[in-house]
Amino acid sequence: MLFLQLLLQGLQVGALYALTAAGFALIFGATRIFHFAHGSAFTLAGYTFLFTSQAGWPWYLGGLASVGVATLFGIGIYWFVYRPIQRHEGSFFTVFVAAFGVGIVVQNLVGMFAGRGFASVDTPLSRATEVLPDVYLAQVFWVAIGLSLVLFLLLTLFLTRHHAGVALRALHQNPDLLRAYGLSSTKLSLLAFAVGSALVAPAAMLTAMTSGLNEAIGHHVMLISMAATIVGGVGSLRGAALAGLMLGVAEAVALSFVDTQWAEAVSFLVLFAFIIFRPSGIFGIAQAR
Amino acid sequence: MSGMNSGRRALLGGLAVAPFVGSARAQSAAPYIVGTLFPMSGPNAEYGSVFTAGAALAIQHINADGILRRPVRIQAEDTQALPQQAVVAMNKLVSVDHAHYVLSAFTAVSKAVAPVGDRARTVMVNGGAVGPDLSGLSPYFWNVIPLAHLETQALLPFMIQRGLKRVALVYVDDPLGDAILGILRTSLPAAGGSLVGNFSVPRTAQQFAPVAARIRQTRPDAVYIASFGAQQSQIIKQLRDNGVSQPLVSYSAMNIDSVRNTPEAEGLIFTTQSTDFEGGDAVTRRFATDFKAQHNADPGTYQVNYYNAVRLFGLLAQSLERENAEVNGENLRRVLLAQREFDLVGGKGRFDDLGNMSAALQITEIRGGRLVKIG
Amino acid sequence: MTAYLTNLASLGAIFCILAATLNVAVGYAGIFSVAHAVFFGLGAYAGAQVSLLLVPDALLAMLAAALVSGVLSLCLALPALRVRGEYFVAASLGLQMMAVTLFSEAKTVTGGIGGLTGIPGPRLFGVEVSTLPVALGALAVILLATALLMRSSFGRTLQAIRDAESAAEALGKNVAAAKALAVAFACAGAGVAGALFAMHMQFVNVESFTLDQSVLIMAMVIIGGTGTLWGPLVGAVILLSLPAGLAFLPFIPSTEVGAVQQVIYGLAMTLLMIFRPAGLVGDLSRGKSHA
Repeated sequence: MLFLQLLLQGLQVGALYALTAAGFALIFGATRIFHFAHGSAFTLAGYTFLFTSQAGWPWYLGGLASVGVATLFGIGIYWFVYRPIQRHEGSFFTVFVAAFGVGIVVQNLVGMFAGRGFASVDTPLSRATEVLPDVYLAQVFWVAIGLSLVLFLLLTLFLTRHHAGVALRALHQNPDLLRAYGLSSTKLSLLAFAVGSALVAPAAMLTAMTSGLNEAIGHHVMLISMAATIVGGVGSLRGAALAGLMLGVAEAVALSFVDTQWAEAVSFLVLFAFIIFRPSGIFGIAQAR
Repeated sequence: MSGMNSGRRALLGGLAVAPFVGSARAQSAAPYIVGTLFPMSGPNAEYGSVFTAGAALAIQHINADGILRRPVRIQAEDTQALPQQAVVAMNKLVSVDHAHYVLSAFTAVSKAVAPVGDRARTVMVNGGAVGPDLSGLSPYFWNVIPLAHLETQALLPFMIQRGLKRVALVYVDDPLGDAILGILRTSLPAAGGSLVGNFSVPRTAQQFAPVAARIRQTRPDAVYIASFGAQQSQIIKQLRDNGVSQPLVSYSAMNIDSVRNTPEAEGLIFTTQSTDFEGGDAVTRRFATDFKAQHNADPGTYQVNYYNAVRLFGLLAQSLERENAEVNGENLRRVLLAQREFDLVGGKGRFDDLGNMSAALQITEIRGGRLVKIG
Repeated sequence: MTAYLTNLASLGAIFCILAATLNVAVGYAGIFSVAHAVFFGLGAYAGAQVSLLLVPDALLAMLAAALVSGVLSLCLALPALRVRGEYFVAASLGLQMMAVTLFSEAKTVTGGIGGLTGIPGPRLFGVEVSTLPVALGALAVILLATALLMRSSFGRTLQAIRDAESAAEALGKNVAAAKALAVAFACAGAGVAGALFAMHMQFVNVESFTLDQSVLIMAMVIIGGTGTLWGPLVGAVILLSLPAGLAFLPFIPSTEVGAVQQVIYGLAMTLLMIFRPAGLVGDLSRGKSHA
């Protein structure tokens, strides 16, 4: 029973990891920018939802505001930080340091204005009840799973049916060709950042309800998204999402074999093992070497 | 430098309303410097603001009463609760600001700065961390907070009496968590209970639902939580959300706003120092009234501790001024060991040879977001 | 004031060693490691244990630290030989996160979160010395070694690998050996810095060896300018003195001191990267993408 319980909990967390990882993978796949400030979008979206719900807004308005803030942040950071750096053909690590700086700024501004420490959105949705002997499940489980499935369906439709989505997928393969067809790679990059950042908002809202927020939460989100993108195979949204789900499950299920203090290291052990033994990831086509 | 100091004075004026209404001579002399080594940013920054509020009120009172010939001011340094930053800050306090007295917090920070203060013979006072290894770090390192092993000991009879015999422990594996684990392993069986499971969690962990599942398996009567900072509320909420309905018990680190304001923390039982704000002595009542007037909230244990730490400085420095001795670490320590007992918030504070203050403990429960004394 | 400045200068020299050695991996060999703090930590624990258990001799402590870090650098060399670019960054991130858990758990060696206390200060041949001259000496030796190495054929091989790995391989260069050696040199250097850090602080715990520390060291190298001898030193001095200098600003309310300092620090990182992407010392025309 413990195993089943841990599996369910892992799936719930994993579904949220999958959303943030897919956002990261979309941005990285389309623009080759290792968006280290992805976690900041998560923090901002989470706190927006927290404030709107404290102000008494209905959840759907708060959700919209939260998606809006995340999207604006994504667009803003591309326009004001990454684009100027890329104009100098800034190296991968220039982008990395700049993004890390943004992460520090966001974390401390949130701390200054939203207060430091733990905050959560109180809802009966997160309160688990016993569904099977010794297996507890909260309604938020179904919300997390359902929401992720719907969003992935929409995202897949967008990327395969809508011309902008198709162009997005083509962007990283051959930007010059796109330009020849009269499509602007800047506009497409903006689109990637907007969609990729918007994807973290639902995960941030659900996290605000379940495990709660603190101003430093973006860090962990970023690490998991990055790990999932690599494990899933760079360039594969499906891989990143699946890997995110897998990391969430691994973290939880590991507890039926090891002591609790090792749970966090499990994700990174998986990551490390993948890089050593299968660097192309689950669905990766392009080999790293 | 003097221009900078006046800038700081203006700032402190805003912070502490009217610090210089004391005697005229207090305004002329260079101020006494009370340095603070608190986390003002990072995940533990909530504590920094809490600690500072207590110290600032004490300084305001000392300056207003004019008990010292020179004014007192705060020199705040941010440690982020990290040892390396703390050592840099401590060195600055000692050799640039020439601090007369330093307030410290957090176990790792305190252990890291203790050698620096020891060499410079600067008194450091901890009112926040409760790791038992903080006792006797240096002759100049004092504690105005009962260390954790005392708190856990005090809780055991209460738990047994309530029938909470099977206890599961969730802890951060630092010296504090280790000490609590040790007590639950040895003293709990002696008192008639048993430790049915212990679950160590990394300090940065965010997900506790799987831990909750493991805890439920041990079928405890109560769950003891030994963590601190933002993580505490996360543990409480996720345990409650994931089917752990047994009583939760803990120690004084729970006495912060974010825990009291977490709805799931209703019914949480933990030990703190006992302070009777209404019926107590004049010192206690004045502290409680003024704190409420300034912050529109009841003071917590940490504010009491850091108020006491600074008040202790005021009392010691007053004795030294009377005998026209220099206010430095050696003399402060000499007076402390000579007097031993001081009128502090919460009653008489008594210090032992190592500079540890003992205080009465009480057991409280969170009811409707407020602390209620239950034992 | 002198004691404060001496302390800052000692820490400065230690971080200069860290930045300079990381630069060997990043700037010369193109190995972007964000796990430098792991080897800093290994060195610190090794140095501390030597001082605590054997003799408190600075040279011996540094030697032991260099050995331990250098040998264990294989953990980093292994992925470095398998993958490049973002993949390697992720691998080193994974290593960093696992190492923090291990440091917290291996209490007999590291003291866990509680750390190791009472580490004796540095001594040379039985005489107590200040950290600063020892650290400056170590820094000078490491810089000299770096300069000599980079002018040798080994250095040219490394730079060829950084600029075009496949081409270097095709020209018959032993890419694997060169990379492993560069990593070992960088990590051994970090170990030396760790031993100095332990003796200087007289207290170490895992909180000094986290991802944030690794990123800070990385930022020092990037902000100063990769692939230059002096750039990392400039970066280290700037990033260390920035928070220390900000601590002197008089107009920040005391409850917001930390947050405001951190915001300025973060902004400085971002703005520098936007306006000086090749670093302060680096030549802008050389700031082209390597990753």
